[in-house]
Amino acid sequence: MNGKYMKVITKVVVLFVMICAPVFSVAQTQNKFKLKTGAAGTLCLNCHDNFKSVLKKQFVHTPVKAGQCTGCHDAHTSSHGKLLAEEPNKICSKCHATVIPKNARSIHGVVLEGNCVKCHDPHGADNKFNLISAGNALCFGCHKDMGASLAKAKFKHSPVEKGCMNCHDPHASAKSDHLLKADLIPLCLNCHKSNSPNFAKAHRNYPVATARCTSCHNPHGSNTAGIFFDNVHAPVAKGTCNQCHDAPTAAAPFRTKKTGFELCKGCHNTMMNETFGKNRIHWPLVDKAGCSNCHEPHASARKNLLMGDGKAVCGKCHSDTMAIQVRLAEKEKQEKAAAGKGEVIKGGLTHAPVQEGNCEVCHSPHSADRSLLLKGPNTVELCGTCHDWLKHTSHPMGEKTLDLRNKNLKLDCLSCHRSHGTGYRYMIPFPTEPDLCIQCHKQYRR
Amino acid sequence: MAVFLRAFFVIGILSVSMVSWSADVAKLRYNTSVYADVKGVGFNHPEGVACSDKSVLVVGDTGNDRLLRYALQEETLKAETEIKIPQLTNPIRVQMNSKGDIFALDGKQRRIVRLAPEGAFKGYLAPEGQSPSTFVPRSFKIDKDDNIYILDVFSGRVLVLNPEGKFQKQINFPKEYGFFSDLAIDPKGNILLIDSIKARVFLAAKGSSTFSPLGATLKEYLSFPTSITTDNRGIIYITDENGAAIGILAQDGSFLGKQLSMGWNEGLLYYPSQTCMNEKGEVFIADRGNSRIQVFTLIK
Repeated sequence: MNGKYMKVITKVVVLFVMICAPVFSVAQTQNKFKLKTGAAGTLCLNCHDNFKSVLKKQFVHTPVKAGQCTGCHDAHTSSHGKLLAEEPNKICSKCHATVIPKNARSIHGVVLEGNCVKCHDPHGADNKFNLISAGNALCFGCHKDMGASLAKAKFKHSPVEKGCMNCHDPHASAKSDHLLKADLIPLCLNCHKSNSPNFAKAHRNYPVATARCTSCHNPHGSNTAGIFFDNVHAPVAKGTCNQCHDAPTAAAPFRTKKTGFELCKGCHNTMMNETFGKNRIHWPLVDKAGCSNCHEPHASARKNLLMGDGKAVCGKCHSDTMAIQVRLAEKEKQEKAAAGKGEVIKGGLTHAPVQEGNCEVCHSPHSADRSLLLKGPNTVELCGTCHDWLKHTSHPMGEKTLDLRNKNLKLDCLSCHRSHGTGYRYMIPFPTEPDLCIQCHKQYRR
Repeated sequence: MAVFLRAFFVIGILSVSMVSWSADVAKLRYNTSVYADVKGVGFNHPEGVACSDKSVLVVGDTGNDRLLRYALQEETLKAETEIKIPQLTNPIRVQMNSKGDIFALDGKQRRIVRLAPEGAFKGYLAPEGQSPSTFVPRSFKIDKDDNIYILDVFSGRVLVLNPEGKFQKQINFPKEYGFFSDLAIDPKGNILLIDSIKARVFLAAKGSSTFSPLGATLKEYLSFPTSITTDNRGIIYITDENGAAIGILAQDGSFLGKQLSMGWNEGLLYYPSQTCMNEKGEVFIADRGNSRIQVFTLIK
């Protein structure tokens, strides 16, 4: 045998040893513990009989199919439920580490939480990818409002009917917000060809291929033809875009004819005069963005073309107030949970309208004569619109009742309560009622 | 081990002195409060206050549509005149120049009124030659040379006018911001803006034509800051309207501490508005929710 063949044989032997050594070593270890055949999984089925039916399902998780229950479970003990070998919200990522791309622009909440079992059965299912339900039904299990509104929608966007995954990535998107598979405009233009005559005609020849489609259209479906959001700004509905914008042939066709509130004033003159006639204005109304700080200029799913619910619209700027609400709601929940069975906790920590984002119950969103844009002639009247018991039984209040702490103040509801909550029951600014009362009734101070 | 202990000791001493320096850099000591005019008519939600080094104080008694002039004599405020003119309603910000002229921002009409020291109407501030012509002042300040700086929220800029009110230049707001409620001119001539929504200070250095953030967001410390001023060292004082406190920042924007808190008793604040500070270190706060002006002394 010449040296050349000898070298090749040596290499093959070394390679064989390298590949087989771990196998032999595992075998040796198995032998060491004298494990029965199938100890990694198939043996489990002797007791866990019900899993036999799982194995018959159309889609079975690979480790389960391979009889490797120990891929996820520890056969003896574990610090986690179901003898899982890792924390439930981390175990899937041990194998499926690339589900969230490194540069993700949006991540599905459940994926971020590691709550994979919300959508997937970890053992087996009748649906592809071990999904617990098929098609949109899976998504609508959580996104109930979306499911309900789509079911009622008169005009449905066909890709949505065919499946949410037509536009969304279920785990995360490196390309866009809202888990979209691509940026909004290119995604829409995949199907809607902007160079078609019909497209141009429908958009009054404005070059909307560069505009945000969801400024007018509800991408899921709506009750308005053209899947416009259900509340459409009159000029948009009439197709008179040039009422606010320059002509479609202009150099900057989307430029508005005027800026801020001055643009809206042209039509909403009466409302504007009423707004500007009050002593105090909501300042964003007169800034660069003006009305569009809170209102959609084209169409909206909400009444008055509002951009979102109260929490979203008001919370956009007043995040400090909204953060307090979240904290107080959590405290309320914890205190209720800690209370004994049947124990009634008196006095709310939170004020319902604020919690619900109905800020306009107390505040006038455009302008008011009172500071903090409070509605009504005075605080007692304002609170009395909901709390009518104030009118017949309460601590003396009103113009004739002086606040003993300050000669310029008259007693009203806000003398003792803070309407956004304080962390104390009845929304008082002190830990206990006596602490509050002795602020004025000093003779009872201990 | 000895080296480690020494290093630890030195770091400890340095940290303690830094903390105490932060706390000691500025403290507010309560002096007095003023509640009414010379006839005893009480304030109604005053939002504006202007002070001068000549011991003059002008209060924007917003809810009563008037200005009130006071003289400060040995820590006591003596009511002088009431200025109530048809050209001015809802004064929400007040300033004085070196000649004693009074400037007040009318919150209802959104225009700045110029008055003689005794209160005679001298006209509206209408800067000519600026483009675009529409401007909505949210606030304004006057520097030591009597130049006027207007925070124009409609066109997103600061307008700089000379003492006669002639347009000099404009500095556009930065690209990213929430809502600017007030501005201040520090002793070096830098312009500072306070963003109420992002709880952040922006600075345009003297001569610069752009604003950039000064320090990090103050969200952790302040709820909804709406007024800003500086002392003669350049230390920044921010009035936190919803948080009922005064936040104190170093010249580089780093947070040094917070003074005062929410309440109705004297020395406490309830939805405070404009704050003014004079050379003597007297601090005047329009305590709007408590319908009074509170006077503090800055203890350096």
